[in-house]
Amino acid sequence: MRQHAGALNRVCLVILGILALAGGVLILLIASGMLHAMSPATVAAESPVVTGDLHAVFGTASAVAIVLVSGVVVGALGLSWILAQIPRRNAADRYRLHQDPASGTTLCDASVLASAVENQINTLPGVVGSSALLRGTAMEPDLAIKVTVNNRADIQDVLQRINTRVIPDLSMALETPLRRTGIQLEVSGRNAISGTTVETTGTVVY
Amino acid sequence: MNATAEHAGSRDLDSRGRTVIDRKVLEKIASQVASEESFAGGSSGGFLGIGAQSDFSARPKVAVELSGNIAALSVEIGLLYPVPLRQVTDQLRRRISERVTALTGVDVRQIDITVSWLKPAGESTGRRRLL
Repeated sequence: MRQHAGALNRVCLVILGILALAGGVLILLIASGMLHAMSPATVAAESPVVTGDLHAVFGTASAVAIVLVSGVVVGALGLSWILAQIPRRNAADRYRLHQDPASGTTLCDASVLASAVENQINTLPGVVGSSALLRGTAMEPDLAIKVTVNNRADIQDVLQRINTRVIPDLSMALETPLRRTGIQLEVSGRNAISGTTVETTGTVVY
Repeated sequence: MNATAEHAGSRDLDSRGRTVIDRKVLEKIASQVASEESFAGGSSGGFLGIGAQSDFSARPKVAVELSGNIAALSVEIGLLYPVPLRQVTDQLRRRISERVTALTGVDVRQIDITVSWLKPAGESTGRRRLL
């Protein structure tokens, strides 16, 4: 139901990996003396990498400011990367269903559609509870459903009913096929009770 | 001769008086027109909007903004599920616009519709009902 920062992690790790690899290759070239052989202006093997007075370079106010700002930027990037790891629901807000806004808008909360889907799933045999989440836009909706069934439910039957009834009904309501659908199934020991009464058309005998 | 007839006609118009329609009348007409559609409903019960229940027999909530003889309506409505939402709201918009204009003469330019709930027809709550 929740989304993780998988793509962001992969991109950041690839960038960090490339930087670390480039650094490693540079150090190897310096240590082996190949860099000095290729370009005599660079540092020779087994000689100090940094020569000269570092205090003169880092003592200036501008150098201090640059180091400080770079530190803050790197820290902020690291913090935002950590915060991006928090799993998010990323639920859609409101679906705009109008074609011509000049004649009026049609708005429907994604939560309204999600609760209609939940109500429909809750009527399926063996289902104890459910929660639905809509993401994306009205033209390209994604549906994520968590269905809790009891331990005697026919899971294949529940899945078949969701695929043949619930999802087509939502597609019909939004007048577009769903882009992606995810179903998470959980099994619970609770009984599926959806009320205390049942409608009947049986004959009453006086 | 014609001048006399025109003068008499204008005097008749003046003597008829004026008809003023309150904004609430437009709201109720639009609300009633919307509730006449089988797929639309409103909310009933509750206190100060708390505990209101979705009800196909209730009238939807309508707010009207008037500027001269032009009206812009906001309709908060509940719909049957599943129905094609774009189609039925367009149908509802046309119907409300036609009926309000026909009954009151006010030009309805814009109808904003907010779908507040979606419910299948004849849904049982699983509880006893008070008749």
